[in-house]
Amino acid sequence: MPPKLCALCEAAKATLRRPKTGQQICRECFFFVFETEIHHTITEAKLFKPGDRVAIGASGGKDSTVLAYVMKTLNERYQYGLELFLLSIDEGITGYRDDSLETVKRNQQQYGMPLKILSYDELYGWTMDSIVAQVGRKNNCTFCGVFRRQALDRGAATLGVDHIVTGHNADDIAETVLMNIMRGDIARLGRCTAICTEGEDTIKRSKPFKYAYEKEIVMYAYFKKLDYFSTECIYSPDAYRGHARAFLKDLEAARPSAIIDIIHSGEAFEVKDEVKASQRVQRTCQRCGYMSSNPLCKACTLLEGLERGSAESGLTDRARKKLEAEGPAPDNVRTIPFFNKPVTGNPRVSIAVEIPPGQ
Amino acid sequence: MASCGNPDVEADASMTKRPKYDRNKTCVKCKLQTGNIVIRHAVYCKDCFFPLMSLRFRRTLEPHINPNPQQHRRKGLKASGNLLIGLSGGLGSSVLLDLIQKTYLSPRERQQGDQNPNGITCPWSKIFVVYVDISGIMIGAPDKSSPVEQFVKRHSTTMEYIRVKLEDAFDQTRSPGLRKILLKVLSSSTCSPLVSLKTYIESLPTQTAISSAIQALIRVLLLHTAALTHSSHLLLGTSLTSLSISLISSISQGGGYSIREETQEEWTYRNQDNIEQIVRVIRPLCDVGMKECAFWAWWCGLKVVGKHRYSGGRQDIGALTRDFIMGLEKDYPSTVSTIARTCNKLTTKGGTSMKCLICQRPAQSGTQDWKQNISIRSYSDINPEDVPPGHVNLASRASDDLPPSNPHSIASSMCYACHTSWTSKSIRGRITKQTDIPLPVWLKISSSISEERRQITMESMRNTIDDFLLDSDS
Repeated sequence: MPPKLCALCEAAKATLRRPKTGQQICRECFFFVFETEIHHTITEAKLFKPGDRVAIGASGGKDSTVLAYVMKTLNERYQYGLELFLLSIDEGITGYRDDSLETVKRNQQQYGMPLKILSYDELYGWTMDSIVAQVGRKNNCTFCGVFRRQALDRGAATLGVDHIVTGHNADDIAETVLMNIMRGDIARLGRCTAICTEGEDTIKRSKPFKYAYEKEIVMYAYFKKLDYFSTECIYSPDAYRGHARAFLKDLEAARPSAIIDIIHSGEAFEVKDEVKASQRVQRTCQRCGYMSSNPLCKACTLLEGLERGSAESGLTDRARKKLEAEGPAPDNVRTIPFFNKPVTGNPRVSIAVEIPPGQ
Repeated sequence: MASCGNPDVEADASMTKRPKYDRNKTCVKCKLQTGNIVIRHAVYCKDCFFPLMSLRFRRTLEPHINPNPQQHRRKGLKASGNLLIGLSGGLGSSVLLDLIQKTYLSPRERQQGDQNPNGITCPWSKIFVVYVDISGIMIGAPDKSSPVEQFVKRHSTTMEYIRVKLEDAFDQTRSPGLRKILLKVLSSSTCSPLVSLKTYIESLPTQTAISSAIQALIRVLLLHTAALTHSSHLLLGTSLTSLSISLISSISQGGGYSIREETQEEWTYRNQDNIEQIVRVIRPLCDVGMKECAFWAWWCGLKVVGKHRYSGGRQDIGALTRDFIMGLEKDYPSTVSTIARTCNKLTTKGGTSMKCLICQRPAQSGTQDWKQNISIRSYSDINPEDVPPGHVNLASRASDDLPPSNPHSIASSMCYACHTSWTSKSIRGRITKQTDIPLPVWLKISSSISEERRQITMESMRNTIDDFLLDSDS
């Protein structure tokens, strides 16, 4: 029986089945379609302009490792004219993040990009290890998620970049659409399928892998022999999200297009105007200047709870009222440094970054 | 990118389950009797349960009975046409029939909590009950039309029973009413309707596509039956649980653009006098969970016939969603109502440009372009600036490229979800490429109207459909 030919070029032997389309294609054609689709995503959404300073959120995992590689490749191939940086957040999880940061440092060497690592310890005075020691494994993902978002923006501000790109892939977005519907989080549901988000006081953030399947990212990393760190976080007990993820995998197994179909659904609807009108107006945190819908942003609220030995106060109304009844925060409580969004086009590098040798 | 959420780590650690009994076992309504049922963390006794169900049912239905929804209900309820109840034989539609009967046809003495002290007159002149029989495609399944008919007759002598077969969607001779409404039928098919239906079903590429096609056929048959019976309202027995399942299932199949229609929709058609008519599709039990329906049926002694349900098992997104939501309802009882409430806050982006030929729901234009942009399936899809790998010779492949998409093809008149159903392949399974696929009657009619306008022959239409009839694994 003759070897099956690639469905795209019809010249080379098919070596893989594309998870996204089910087509049997050769490796070279896979590289081409994978990279070109990401290029189409970037150009359709007009994500960048020449001269942009772009930070790649790098965790050392598969998504961000492939993202760094593909961004570098496309930047050179299509002459985007971007100045690329790697930006890593060290949550302070022994045995997990310290290992994955080694991968990021290797990427720094391989791709020749400046790297900035910002730690929770440096920014908040707490590591995830110490947070988990106080709050336990329940709800620790809330702390980590809130702190990471701010940390990325603050790290980007120190790099003076215009834009952060993250490795969120199609599976992540589809899962988030389902999660937000099931949790009734209408505000996030309204924006989770947007390729690019930018608030008045935050740095532009986008997801070039929005339509890239997780399996294809793994496949790309495998064939390109990219070096990445692959372990689930040791403090990740979000069982509810786990249910949604398992469900999504079942859907994908039944019909591979389900992931893209969910994203298409998310793009086809929006929150009704009357519901939007009832949502809280965005403002800035009184304490740290970061965007917030309350006088204090979520990170400051959580941090104050940790500092005052009442971590629950950032999570439940009852605990928050109890803490408020004890009076205002004492002066010796650590707070987050005031956030200043960089002025676009006028970069201010206020913290030294690690530059790869030879640059 | 998601670095958290390992389901194997620690089960249920971050989502605290509430106790099922919030305070005590006393009914929260009368505060006297011991409760018999817990509904979303609240305890009710049997006596308070019935008015509660009745209230929720009427609160959902009655604002939509008068032709002008602004007209205050206290001035009376009067529908502009008849009522059609879709009865599948399942729990929800059986309870719906019972509630219609008890509320509007034989209203009882005023009960505690009843909102209407003067009794209620029936807002519809005639009430029809339609059962769509799908036993033709269920191998070995018994025909349930007789027990369903008996169920209707046991309940009321005033309701008129109608049986429709799923294959009637392909019948050009036995649906004169349908033909009258849809002007005319053009088809050269000589197959029996059942054979046509089976061929149509077998031509679909996935189990998901089969079950969603069956749902779409049932839905459109119900709408056409409503038009035939001059009904202004079509009521379905979709419970809150079933609604949440259909919402998530629809979203998972790309049906986000018709998310509003999953809850409530208005279908417009032209009658014999060419006057525009509207059928309102309402789900009066959409605020009542499946558990409450089961209790109602049990306490009222309803003998639920049971419904035929096509299921493709683990390969069927509808079946997977049902299992997922039912599992969640057990562990996280608020999730089901949260899904419905969240989706109720959504609307479609942009205006509706057209109706899908298959499911007759609103459809976006440009869905094929969107698909082409995000996934390259041929070198004809690439832009001039994209340089293909060195081993690819585009010049020699020019003749092999897919034909350019025809803006007048059926594909361009399909919604994203239906287009995906026809084209999306499964990982497993191999579908034989069909050359002559029968189509539902309404699709042929719509196409024939297009033919008059655009001069597209039946043959060219078939050729266009041929693009969707994929050899899997190729």
